[in-house]
Amino acid sequence: MSAYKTIWKKEFKDALRDKRSVLAAMSYAFFGPMLMAVAFFFLISQLTDPSDVKISIDGKQYAPELIEHLRENGIVERDTDWPAEVTPIELSIPENWAEAIASATPIAVTLRADWSAQKQQSDIKRVEQALQAYSAQIANYRLILRGIDPRVIQPVQVAKQDMATRGSKAALIMGSVLVFILLSVFWSGMNVAIDISAGERERNSLEFLLSQPVSSQAIVIGKVLAASCFALFGAMLSLILIPVIFSFVPLHQIGMSVDFSLEMLLIMFLALVPLALLATSLQLFVSFRAKNFKEAQTYISFLLIIPMAASFGVEFARLKTPVLYYLPLTGQHQTFLSLIRGETVNWLGAGVSAVFTLVVAVLLTYLIGRMLKSEKTVFGL
Amino acid sequence: MIEVKSISKSFKTVSALSELTFSARDGEITGLLGPNGAGKTTCLRIIYGLLRADSGQALIESVDANRYPLQARSNLGIFPDKFGLYERLTVREQVRYFGELHGLQAEQLEHSVDNVIERLDIASLADRKSAGFSQGQRMKVALAQALVHNPKHLILDEPSRGLDVMSTRILRDILREQRAAGTCILFSSHVMQEVAALCDRVVVMAAGKVAAEGTPDELCQLTGEAALEDAFVKIIGSDEGIAA
Repeated sequence: MSAYKTIWKKEFKDALRDKRSVLAAMSYAFFGPMLMAVAFFFLISQLTDPSDVKISIDGKQYAPELIEHLRENGIVERDTDWPAEVTPIELSIPENWAEAIASATPIAVTLRADWSAQKQQSDIKRVEQALQAYSAQIANYRLILRGIDPRVIQPVQVAKQDMATRGSKAALIMGSVLVFILLSVFWSGMNVAIDISAGERERNSLEFLLSQPVSSQAIVIGKVLAASCFALFGAMLSLILIPVIFSFVPLHQIGMSVDFSLEMLLIMFLALVPLALLATSLQLFVSFRAKNFKEAQTYISFLLIIPMAASFGVEFARLKTPVLYYLPLTGQHQTFLSLIRGETVNWLGAGVSAVFTLVVAVLLTYLIGRMLKSEKTVFGL
Repeated sequence: MIEVKSISKSFKTVSALSELTFSARDGEITGLLGPNGAGKTTCLRIIYGLLRADSGQALIESVDANRYPLQARSNLGIFPDKFGLYERLTVREQVRYFGELHGLQAEQLEHSVDNVIERLDIASLADRKSAGFSQGQRMKVALAQALVHNPKHLILDEPSRGLDVMSTRILRDILREQRAAGTCILFSSHVMQEVAALCDRVVVMAAGKVAAEGTPDELCQLTGEAALEDAFVKIIGSDEGIAA
């Protein structure tokens, strides 16, 4: 058996017996999607609140028809007090309502609320819409009574056509889920990578390993493969768990549909393979330079910021340049985005970024191998 | 046969070894004796190719350890200065791992592993994970790792440090057995009794140079002292760093 396979096998077995490593690989994949699903769940239930809007109505005795109209639209008078931290939504109907309606003069109805309150946005909007609809209804009656077609006062009619497909709306929310999947390869193998490099040094077994008749390249390749296995294990777990967990989130209620087909998940996994190799070789590169486990952990936490900043940056800045398709990390990100939007994947870009990612990973592996030949790194001179 | 030919090595401005020359013959135990900081560990690390000599050569069976470290190491059993065990693996798994790294396979591998476990009398430990082992038990495991591929040369860096009397005796017996089998053994120590009891030849090192070389008796005669310890002090010119 080639030496790198021996080392790969041993490191993998060793890491599997390390509960901390296994737990680290699994917990990210498991609790992450869970947390996101819960967040979405609350977001959706808030957006699609079907219950009545309860507001304070002043002077309802003056306009029973309006009150009836509001009730039909799910807006009713409150029978309990407003909680202290919430600004009340108050509607005041003036005394001269009936009189003004009869004489066809404008009536000032006051709607008092806090338009900046995020939570009340949809409530206020519903009240406004109901009032406007009632106003339009009366206007139409008046015009018809006077023998005028109501359409004359609607010279321009705006036809709203929402171009967002169900898939592309989903992409907005799913963007953060994608970033999460991408980062899984950085998180899940991290502990193993530290353990087999800085940990090996700390346990004083590095010198003996390097004194074996095995090239340092073979040692590094074996170690990169072992840590990558854990990274990919974490990625696979999140890829399996995310569709399962999100099937419980009522995304269809906000007009979204996300289906993770098996084919799509497979493509995602394949795209993550070179990224996992890059992630672990980068982590090994850093933690072989650290003197002990703790120091390596510190460095690697800093290192994690790079992929996080890069992918969240692209995601939220809505950055769009063609270069993104061809780079490591952003290339995989773009492929994921296309997949989830149901667009055709830029296969050339995906291929180039995969090769690019692999080349960087191989280069880093080679550099670590060279580093382990230098007495400076080995003995920390 | 291990030959060290005028090796010099310095770390930045500190000179660790200068023109060090000696040899260790097959079927003999050669002791590298010197006070702390004499350059013993540096010298051994150069022999197994982990450090690079600034000048000079370390030859193992005529293979230059600096130029062909992999080939040189395949003939070596090493017991390093610091040996850490893989605490999540059983003893058998660890020994097998290093056997595999030396290119042993299948039946030959299993046979060698069983053999070394039997030779070192660690069958009762073989299927236990090495976490919590005593220093003596750890020494045996490290020795098993070094011996699994039946090396012709054995290099030990202060193997007896931290061992109790019983474990030290076991170690000596193992080394004598290896010598009888024709192995070339080179070990470093700063413990006088051990060197006197075990070595066929002694190389006394001080400040990166060979201060004297010969059998323990020869060294005593050379200095006119009756005990090796006194001879040693006389040779290196101070009593610094000598363990009683």
